[in-house]
Amino acid sequence: MATHILFETASGYAIFEVKLRDELASMTGAVQTSIQDLGKFKKMVSLLSFSPFKNAAHALENANDVSEGTVSEDLRALLELNLSKPSKSSSIVLGVSDPILASAIKGALKLKCDTSESTAELIRGIRFHAPKLLKGLQSDDLTKAQLGLGHSYSRSKLKFNVNRVDNMII
Amino acid sequence: GRGGARGGSKVIIEPHKHEGIFIAKGKESMLVTKNLVPGESVYGEKRISIETGEDGGKIEYRVWNPFRSKLAAGVLGGMDKIFIVPGAKVLYLGAASGTSVSHVADIVGPEGVVYAVEFSPRSGRDLINMAKKRTNVIPIVEDARFPQKYRILLSTVDVIFADVAQPDQARIVAHNAHQFLKVDGHAVISIKANCIDSTAPAEAVFSREIDALRAEMFKPLEQITLEPYERDHAMVTARYVRHK
Repeated sequence: MATHILFETASGYAIFEVKLRDELASMTGAVQTSIQDLGKFKKMVSLLSFSPFKNAAHALENANDVSEGTVSEDLRALLELNLSKPSKSSSIVLGVSDPILASAIKGALKLKCDTSESTAELIRGIRFHAPKLLKGLQSDDLTKAQLGLGHSYSRSKLKFNVNRVDNMII
Repeated sequence: GRGGARGGSKVIIEPHKHEGIFIAKGKESMLVTKNLVPGESVYGEKRISIETGEDGGKIEYRVWNPFRSKLAAGVLGGMDKIFIVPGAKVLYLGAASGTSVSHVADIVGPEGVVYAVEFSPRSGRDLINMAKKRTNVIPIVEDARFPQKYRILLSTVDVIFADVAQPDQARIVAHNAHQFLKVDGHAVISIKANCIDSTAPAEAVFSREIDALRAEMFKPLEQITLEPYERDHAMVTARYVRHK
């Protein structure tokens, strides 16, 4: 099971430490209920580090990397800084949402990764409570970041679409 | 052009049983939503301006055509609940050019958010332009089959609305739900029978899709047909229980 969780937001990358990880894998109603309870969930995970994107262009670059499953410079730096303490590194397992990104991280940083159901469950919990877990980030701020990034990400998809058919003949 | 529905004092606005949706009663009754951006039509739809009373203020509504929007057809077809309410966070799969999305944005209002996913670049362009004015819409030009690709843009949502007209629609909805839909959140799905299987009878296709949802930890709630607005279409709602 994962000891840490990578969570990507429109404002930046976050790494959480997993504190309590018993019976998470069993998909029962009781587990669901405790994940939804902020008090109980805070006993399961805590924020280790948050690395905000510097500006809109920087956010877009990283969004493209996350989407493609490649390890950006920033992500590499953040993971190296927080998870590569020599003595501990052997026991570190990073929970990642996307199997493609997980294998890229494995390759680039020699970090063990986990994409199991329990990791997915923790990431669901983090997404649900995100504004309250990411210190200094209001719910509004996150939505604003998503709005800006949604526009720039989507515009870039139009720009790079080589097959676009745009000739309206009337 | 304009004219037509702008009956001035003759039109009375009444709330629909679904919160955030209204009925304009004039010569004929029309479904309307409160225009989030007064003074603008999104796709040439008619607007109705109502004076609010003594202070001379006005509220503008936009006519919502059930022949153009399946969600509107579902509302007029008598859906018991659509779960898209003021303040809700909605993941809208198959946003197309954003005409229906604009009404959903009106309904959820400034406190709500609509994550609007559309893969076709041509429709995506119109969607982005609509979203420039409606800042509670976050446009996402990406393939709804791969929610991983846009996870960085999303928060947990209350409702998933899907109108993707793909054979594996139930699976697409489930993939998105597993990542983004809160426990006890809801899915509202428009199913076009011959997009899924053009050889089987429509009823059989609908019940197969509902079974597919059940297998993905949804509890089906309601199913109606979209007649007379669409042929061989059903609208289905389900609650996401997320445990077996």
